[in-house]
Amino acid sequence: MFEKSLTDLIQGLRANKRNEADYIQKSLEEIQSEVQQSDMYCKSTAIDKLNYLHMLGYDTNWANFNAVEVMASPRFGEKRKGYLAAAQSFHQETDVLMLATNLIRKDLASSNAMEVSVALDGLAQVATPELATDLFDDVAAVLGHSRPFIRKKALVCLYRLVLKHPEGLHALAPQLRERLDDPDPSVVSSAVSVICELARTNPHNYLPLAPRLYQLMNSSTNNWMLIKIVKLFASLTPIEPRLAKKLHGPLSQLICSTSAMSLLYECIHTAVVGDIIGVPLPVTDSVGREIDFAELCARKLVLFYESADHNLRYVGLVTLAQLQARRPELVVNQYETVLKCLDDPDLSIRMRALSVISGMATRRTLDRTVKRLMSQLILSNTIRLQPVASLPSVGTTEYSCKYNGDAADSDLIALATDATGASLVSARGSIVQSRQLTAAGPGPADSPEYRLLVVEAIVDMCTRQSYANLSNFEWYVAVLVDLVYSAGVDVGQLLSEKLLDVTVRVRQVREFSVRLMRQMLSDSQLASRAISGSSAAKVLCTAAYILGEYCSLLPANSEDIALLLPKCLDKLDGEQQATFIQAAIKAYTNWLRDVAGYWSTEIWELVRAVTASTMSQLSDLLLAKTDDNALSGNSAVAELPLQVSSRLRHFVEITKAVSVATSNPSESAPQLCLELHELFTAYELNPVSVAAQGKVPQPDGLDLDSPIGGPIPDTEHIMFPPPPPVSSEPRQRASQSGSGRKQRRGQKNEPFYLDGGDDVRHSHSLAELPDVDDIPVVQLDLGGQGSENATKTRSKKKKTRTKDGAAKRERRRRVQTPSPPLAPVDIAGDEDMPDVSAPLPQPQSQQTSPAQQ
Amino acid sequence: MIRFILVQNRQGKTRLEKWYSQYSNQERHKLKAEVHRTVASRDQKHQSNFVEFHNHRIVYRRYAGLFFCFCIDTNDNELAYLEGIHLFVEVLDSYHGNVCELDLVFNFYLVYAVLDEMILAGEIQETSRSVILGRLDQLSSLE
Repeated sequence: MFEKSLTDLIQGLRANKRNEADYIQKSLEEIQSEVQQSDMYCKSTAIDKLNYLHMLGYDTNWANFNAVEVMASPRFGEKRKGYLAAAQSFHQETDVLMLATNLIRKDLASSNAMEVSVALDGLAQVATPELATDLFDDVAAVLGHSRPFIRKKALVCLYRLVLKHPEGLHALAPQLRERLDDPDPSVVSSAVSVICELARTNPHNYLPLAPRLYQLMNSSTNNWMLIKIVKLFASLTPIEPRLAKKLHGPLSQLICSTSAMSLLYECIHTAVVGDIIGVPLPVTDSVGREIDFAELCARKLVLFYESADHNLRYVGLVTLAQLQARRPELVVNQYETVLKCLDDPDLSIRMRALSVISGMATRRTLDRTVKRLMSQLILSNTIRLQPVASLPSVGTTEYSCKYNGDAADSDLIALATDATGASLVSARGSIVQSRQLTAAGPGPADSPEYRLLVVEAIVDMCTRQSYANLSNFEWYVAVLVDLVYSAGVDVGQLLSEKLLDVTVRVRQVREFSVRLMRQMLSDSQLASRAISGSSAAKVLCTAAYILGEYCSLLPANSEDIALLLPKCLDKLDGEQQATFIQAAIKAYTNWLRDVAGYWSTEIWELVRAVTASTMSQLSDLLLAKTDDNALSGNSAVAELPLQVSSRLRHFVEITKAVSVATSNPSESAPQLCLELHELFTAYELNPVSVAAQGKVPQPDGLDLDSPIGGPIPDTEHIMFPPPPPVSSEPRQRASQSGSGRKQRRGQKNEPFYLDGGDDVRHSHSLAELPDVDDIPVVQLDLGGQGSENATKTRSKKKKTRTKDGAAKRERRRRVQTPSPPLAPVDIAGDEDMPDVSAPLPQPQSQQTSPAQQ
Repeated sequence: MIRFILVQNRQGKTRLEKWYSQYSNQERHKLKAEVHRTVASRDQKHQSNFVEFHNHRIVYRRYAGLFFCFCIDTNDNELAYLEGIHLFVEVLDSYHGNVCELDLVFNFYLVYAVLDEMILAGEIQETSRSVILGRLDQLSSLE
């Protein structure tokens, strides 16, 4: 039969590009039949084709057993195909692996070195814990093989096995030591690699090897091995400080002399991470001068991130970040260079530079850094820029515009970078469009992770060590407001927290802050974005709070009240609405108090007008929800949240009181207007630390462990007879404390106390239930009329229900409530009650048990 | 240590894959697609050859229409692995004589053999080109 070989399969695939799936289906079916055949050659070709298809993404696990068969073939080529299939598609859970154990063992012991090598390759890939345990010794035996490449492979394979079978480490460690002295350099190199990997998790074991490794480092010229050795030392030096001193010399030599960038990088990295730069010995650099080792490293690092090659830049920045964590003073003078790296088109480089820069923030550099980052955020494609008509045309993004108080009230303020770095002013929804912005595709600044990092970095730099770096708090508040507009990611929570934090803590900036908040609240674009849960909503909520709390700092304005009851209020969630309303109350009372200072008839009319409009707004809000109630008929959903409705009603009462007080024009302001604001100014709110509660001293004589009241009196004997005391006695005796025993007894007998392990109650069978005869029954006398009515209604309603149903119900009820003959109880209209005039049968257990089913 | 090695062409087809860590089949598919997305969209001239990927790094290099990607741990020396990729490609080149993508497709098991000689269990174990080529000659003589 003509089977397709691998080449044919591939050629066929390429020829059938259009109906690839069908072709592959057909081939899979062919392969299925081929693997069943007994001819080994056929099978192995089939497995070969399967390998290829596996690479294309098709599942080939159904042929696992056949793959193992092929692995057992005596011919090398076929064996290899089988092992390859195993390596590619076997998982840890593949059950046919157990069949392969003996097979691999045979191969490992084979005289043909190639077979050994292919077996080692395969084993390294598919090692499971069982295989590892079984084959460990076999592989260890191979370590003494004559061919060096077998030794090398065996070493690495053993490493893999040890990962699955940790007990083998004892046997492995001395072997590793021997192999370090092996004459063949590649074996030594593998041994070093393995030690390097193992030392990462457990460095103590390999410390004794350090002298030999040191020798190797000094004598070898193989860069790969040197890199591994240096990396190894990085994991050893933290546990052995003297090692650092010894390494100091050779490492600096390497740094000065090597031309391989990778080795240089590894050496510097080790020096930084392993804290070898902490050693205070000077070294001689390439020119022969004596400098500090750390300085040498820093200088060499400059080569990296100033190079044009992006790879070097990236690794340089990574190491710089590490260096900064340990020796910040060395890094500080690199500010300019790193700032340039911030604009790199590569996102990973930018992120690294960002982390370095934010660590470098000081008073002097904060300004420029933040400006650069903000311009990155704004000039990206995420923010849609609109041309602003009222501003003079600008050719570049930089022009000077210093902030002053008047400009805050003007309609639009542009983002500007001042040449003297004085201040950054806040922008509104529209931002000046830079002519230089080309219509480029999305750049790295558009990635949301990057933007989030940038915002967090800006905030972190400014608030570090309680604002140690800030010299101008107004500028900081303006930056935060700008970030609200330009962030493009969901950082509303963070920004609102920071705004609140700085406004509350720093008294001087409150006025500026309130002004900006007022601006933000009157921005209709921002309000339109404020739906519940969005970041704009959170920020606006905080803005409302700040405006309400500190509105007394600004000349009072009746429009504040309108601002704080915006149209979008019903789109926010309950908490936020409540904040808005509370702030509106504060603003209202503040305005009243202010206006009361210069009372006149016009003022009186103004007060009445404002009060009336506010009241109408509030009643709208209150009714809006209740209207929806009526319309949708679903009262559970559309009801006002509790905190909102309560505050609304407070506000309504306050306005009612004011309108009553101002019902007649008066000479001077009513006392009410002057004093209402006292509601909110009695105490100043200060920030409270998280640990404050813990510092409150416990009052003397407070014992939290003693029970509050006496034990609950045993009243159960009125309701139920006491339970059989048989099983409860040991439990009572076992308990220690007197009060505990009493409590427990009381609890046990309490009718609704659910105790999982206590089966006193379960031992009650139905027959032992308290006799219902003992339940006191009260006679209700409703007069003779009731019985007549009842019979009439009964006869009427009998037509609507079947006789059987009523009879069943009666039977059920009779059985369930085996009651003594009750006094005639006639409740009009309720014909479901059993006919109690006839005597009922007494309760019997046979009748009760079937009913309980 | 190397987590996995992928050789993909520009359309995202995998020409070679070698996994040195445990990944289930669905994970492998997802990873392959993600790697392709990440690597194919990068600009050679302005961007470095190292990408952060989940919590590892991908070191990749583009040769003609093929991307050779090594996924390594974060504390590994990326420059060294970059050189490793180059060594691998050089060996393939000397073995096939001016290797092109078709060679890799038709002789994929040989490519795996070369890879196994160079890298075992996630570590580079042989860095001498002559030694690897010598061994490959031995292997082919056995076939």
